[in-house]
Amino acid sequence: MFLSCRIIFFVVLAAVLAGCATRPPNHFSPPVGMFPANGLLIQRALFTARGRQFALNGYLALSETGGKRLIVTETFGNVMADVLVKPDGRVFVIKSSRMFPERYIRRLVVADLECVFGSAPAADCPVTMPGKNHFVIDRGGYQLDLRIVETKSSAQPAAMFDETASLKK
Amino acid sequence: MKTLIRILTLARALVAVSAWGEPPTKPVIDSQPVLSDLQHKMASVRSVYLEFTQERVLKLFTEPLKTEGVMLIERPDKIRWETTAPYQSILLGDQKTVAQFEFNDGKWEKLKLGFPQLLQRVMQQMALMNQGKLDALMTDYKISVATGALTVLTMVPKDENVRGMMSSLEVHLLPDLSATRVVVMNEPNGDLTRITFRNEKRDANFPANTFDQSKPLAIAAVQSVVKNAL
Repeated sequence: MFLSCRIIFFVVLAAVLAGCATRPPNHFSPPVGMFPANGLLIQRALFTARGRQFALNGYLALSETGGKRLIVTETFGNVMADVLVKPDGRVFVIKSSRMFPERYIRRLVVADLECVFGSAPAADCPVTMPGKNHFVIDRGGYQLDLRIVETKSSAQPAAMFDETASLKK
Repeated sequence: MKTLIRILTLARALVAVSAWGEPPTKPVIDSQPVLSDLQHKMASVRSVYLEFTQERVLKLFTEPLKTEGVMLIERPDKIRWETTAPYQSILLGDQKTVAQFEFNDGKWEKLKLGFPQLLQRVMQQMALMNQGKLDALMTDYKISVATGALTVLTMVPKDENVRGMMSSLEVHLLPDLSATRVVVMNEPNGDLTRITFRNEKRDANFPANTFDQSKPLAIAAVQSVVKNAL
């Protein structure tokens, strides 16, 4: 009897530990109507990786028909990343940098973008929303503390969402 | 690298202004006298307070992306670059160290900088500039001067790699070279950054902790002292 209980205990313990190791990915959906369908969101972000922090600016242009165009700069305006995500999910990396290589932009920047600003709930979105216009993404290897500092609800130029024009330059 | 170039060239312009305007200018054949005069004038400035509007002009956008802020410099090597809108951020430096703070949720957070060495180099160059030493500038750039209602220094990087990132730097000064009005950093693709300076205060006595890299004095307190001193 005692041996059976110990076996059951360890089986349950193993099951719990297995569950902890493979916890389900987070799901996040921003409040409905929080972002304009067409507009420009100006953001300030703190990117933390390996204990080091980088302050960045983000300019996210939104278009119902054109998709999302994100330009990331450092404080003095140098473009660190420039990516266009079409409504059908196609990704065009317009500009990358040493800090944000193309593969990182495709794999992680776009994922974070869709987690916070996507129209449909996405899986594996470790996002919390500590306050209005404030989002925190924690993927373990890095954290992104993102704040929207200004919102402009006006249609952005069509050229921003034209991958052929953007990639030509 | 590009950030370093931007900050270096901005710092090398130095000192305050009034409204943006672009009267015509005429190129001069020999720029050396103008540069020597500029260097002499800059060497005599002990400290400076400026307010600025930084416009990031990207062709994609219908209007520039703006930030507002203040810049403070004190000889020999202290600098404070503070963005006040649409977010709040402070960058502080001297010849040895740099620090950056972000204001969130009602308090300032000192960042664990990712590339402090890069910023330290920038601050060292700023210190040289503040002492009026333009030698490094002339080593790195081909400089032409145009005069008229304004004096315009146009600096084209000599290094091809640098030119690939910044095609030229323009510094627009008052005719007597006593103040810089605007600095424009042009990029090969037509994008640019324009920084317009205003409300210059020269040789201001900044209060203690203005450049403190652990707990910098609030800018409002600095401004109160600087503006009341006039």
